[in-house]
Amino acid sequence: MNFELDEMQTLLKNSVAHWTAKNYGFEARSKLVHEGGGFSEAHWSAFVEFGWLGASLAEENGGYGGGPIEAAIIMEEFGKALVAEPFFAVGVLAAQTLIGMGGEAAIALVHAMQAGETRAVLAHTEAAARGDVGCVSSIARRTGAGWSINGTKAMVWGGPFADQFIVSARSFGATRDRQGISLFLVPADAPGLSRRNARLSDGSRAAALSFTDVSIPQDALLGTEGGALDALARGQAHGIVALCAEAVGAMDRVLWMTRDYLLMRKQFKQPIGNFQALQHRMADMLIELELSRSVLYRALSRLGSPVDERDHAVSLAKVQIGKAAKFVGGQAIQLHGAIGVTEECAVGHYFRRLTLIDNSFGSVQNHLQRIAAHFQRAA
Amino acid sequence: MNLELDPADVEFREEVRAFLAKKLDSRVAERNRRGFHTSCEDKRAWTRILAEKGWAGPAWPKEYGGPGWTDMQVMIFEEECFLAGAPLVDQGGFKLLGPVVWTFGTEEQKRRFLEPTRRGDIFWGQGFSEPNAGSDLASLTTRAVRDGDEYVVNGHKIWTSDAHFADYIFALVKTDPEAKSRGISFVVFDAKSPGVTIRPIIDIGEGHCLNEIFIDSVRLPVSNLIGEENRGWSYAKFLLDNERAYSAEVPRNKLALNRLKAIAATRQDDDRRLIDDPIFASRIAQLEAELAALEYQTLRALSDKLGGSQLPVGSILKVRGSELIQKIGEMQIEALGEFGSVVYPEHNSSDSSPGPDYAHGVLADFMYRRSTTIYGGTNEIQRTIIAKSFLGL
Repeated sequence: MNFELDEMQTLLKNSVAHWTAKNYGFEARSKLVHEGGGFSEAHWSAFVEFGWLGASLAEENGGYGGGPIEAAIIMEEFGKALVAEPFFAVGVLAAQTLIGMGGEAAIALVHAMQAGETRAVLAHTEAAARGDVGCVSSIARRTGAGWSINGTKAMVWGGPFADQFIVSARSFGATRDRQGISLFLVPADAPGLSRRNARLSDGSRAAALSFTDVSIPQDALLGTEGGALDALARGQAHGIVALCAEAVGAMDRVLWMTRDYLLMRKQFKQPIGNFQALQHRMADMLIELELSRSVLYRALSRLGSPVDERDHAVSLAKVQIGKAAKFVGGQAIQLHGAIGVTEECAVGHYFRRLTLIDNSFGSVQNHLQRIAAHFQRAA
Repeated sequence: MNLELDPADVEFREEVRAFLAKKLDSRVAERNRRGFHTSCEDKRAWTRILAEKGWAGPAWPKEYGGPGWTDMQVMIFEEECFLAGAPLVDQGGFKLLGPVVWTFGTEEQKRRFLEPTRRGDIFWGQGFSEPNAGSDLASLTTRAVRDGDEYVVNGHKIWTSDAHFADYIFALVKTDPEAKSRGISFVVFDAKSPGVTIRPIIDIGEGHCLNEIFIDSVRLPVSNLIGEENRGWSYAKFLLDNERAYSAEVPRNKLALNRLKAIAATRQDDDRRLIDDPIFASRIAQLEAELAALEYQTLRALSDKLGGSQLPVGSILKVRGSELIQKIGEMQIEALGEFGSVVYPEHNSSDSSPGPDYAHGVLADFMYRRSTTIYGGTNEIQRTIIAKSFLGL
């Protein structure tokens, strides 16, 4: 066991860090999220060209032979820079769900996504889910020609920039049943599919989708009918861990920004970093950050474990990192004082992203309940 | 980055478990698992069993009779021992005195002290803190004055764990009060020397492991000075760095969390289990997440030992490990309900006090563990170290 990045991983980290330093300064980012719609085709082309969309995927899936550690490296650097494009939605959540599903069509789609030929994102989460991966009330009904989809999806990250959706819908069973959920590939311009775009608190974009008798052909079904739950759970596990890595990056950056501010800002004729109350707060922020990194590594080490152990490790990470995200992000603002609450100061933007991460795929409270269920079963 | 466990380590853990199952007395184990302070006889007997096997002093190099294990093996061994309820062997002797002697001592000192310590023939007491030198340890005033081939020592040491079992004391003493540097030396002396008085200190759990040591004109030969005169402070710092990876006490926290779950999983008279209460369970889950993070922080610390990271990992582990054990203790007491407040006598587990068997020892341990955020450098000192040394504030 060792926690040092190897040569290739270091190279990947440095190349992502180099790119974000060049393309994601605070001003440039502000412009992108306010005037540029939160997306740049040039940025996306860079992700494709640098191979970042395939960096964490096995060769058999068209990738470069990396794994979740590579995804975490990219996400951590993106977290430091608050990258707004839906790298996560395409490169992690959709890709890992499709790999979990398997089958020729799903894997071909993963290849096409890495090549930049399509931007497919997962349209799965519904408003009631709160991280419960089996919560699907959207319906897929067999028709003579194929399938007809009805239902709504709450907040599809990257939705405004997608040309295809990987939609979860059930052909049998009740809303939270484990069986009965299937995945369908639906073109973004399919008749009956309406998309309402939203700007999220951190400047990234999502879309609420509504399906009214959306007709798709027989072969739009990805994998086997009714058996998509395990694939969705796998996608979510990989997704949460990647978001945790992003949060670690965001916390890391905002912590050092705050440290620099404490050395620079003077009150009572001295740098406010001289005051012990603030020093101890910073120490607690560092502790939370490092414990987050540790529990992230633990989760990374369990992504290939049996499902029960994997999901338990993911929940442990989500709890620690959700708690840390609010603390580190919130205290970064507090230590900046009033300037930290303004749009022009970067720290607040980290807080916005961190808050969003905490509340996605189940909050701290949702994941505490899962950890509890795990030991209640064992006791 | 490789996050997989080495199969050899998994196998090693099984080997340690099998050894413990065979050699550890179940009555001794039960008493320790309850959190009572271990008796001197139990400690000595267990040290001898380990020495026989070659496993006493798990972190000791082969040259001095240790098993020559990797850091990971040491961690696995200590965790398995603790979870099984094995007596904690002489911590001062194995973790502090031993490394100082083999690093800074003379050949004669190595012969005199290392093997008897390893075999459990010499138990050690640590004389660092003084009534007026706590967080500011370097301000200690116990004085050693050279008189021919001897030092004459006068002073007062305090908070010495298990000094009442100790055959020898190692202590930091002032040898040069005028020195610009700290003028502190590292000496050892027989606990039975004339002028040494050891007085028990009873903790708020009504247990006895702490002591104070009065040192009244105690004479010790100059050959009992370890290393160079006036260099003792750097030796003490060397010790503390050595130990930094273990300061979260993950095994203790694991055992305590398991115990909390076991208490909460007991069926009450109304057939309910506290562990099924969603609010109580979610509070336990919070502690489990903290422990998982600490465990991996410890593994990172072991890995960093090789990589030489600057992260103040000892302080991080100390702060959160000590806070966690207190939080788990609070919930154990709460889980015991009415029986959480009963005082159970330490050395009589077969007494007729009311309440379930598993309640014994919880209160005593909980009370004593208020010391965790104080000993080894208070958590406030640790936070200041983090802020100054790493964050540059």
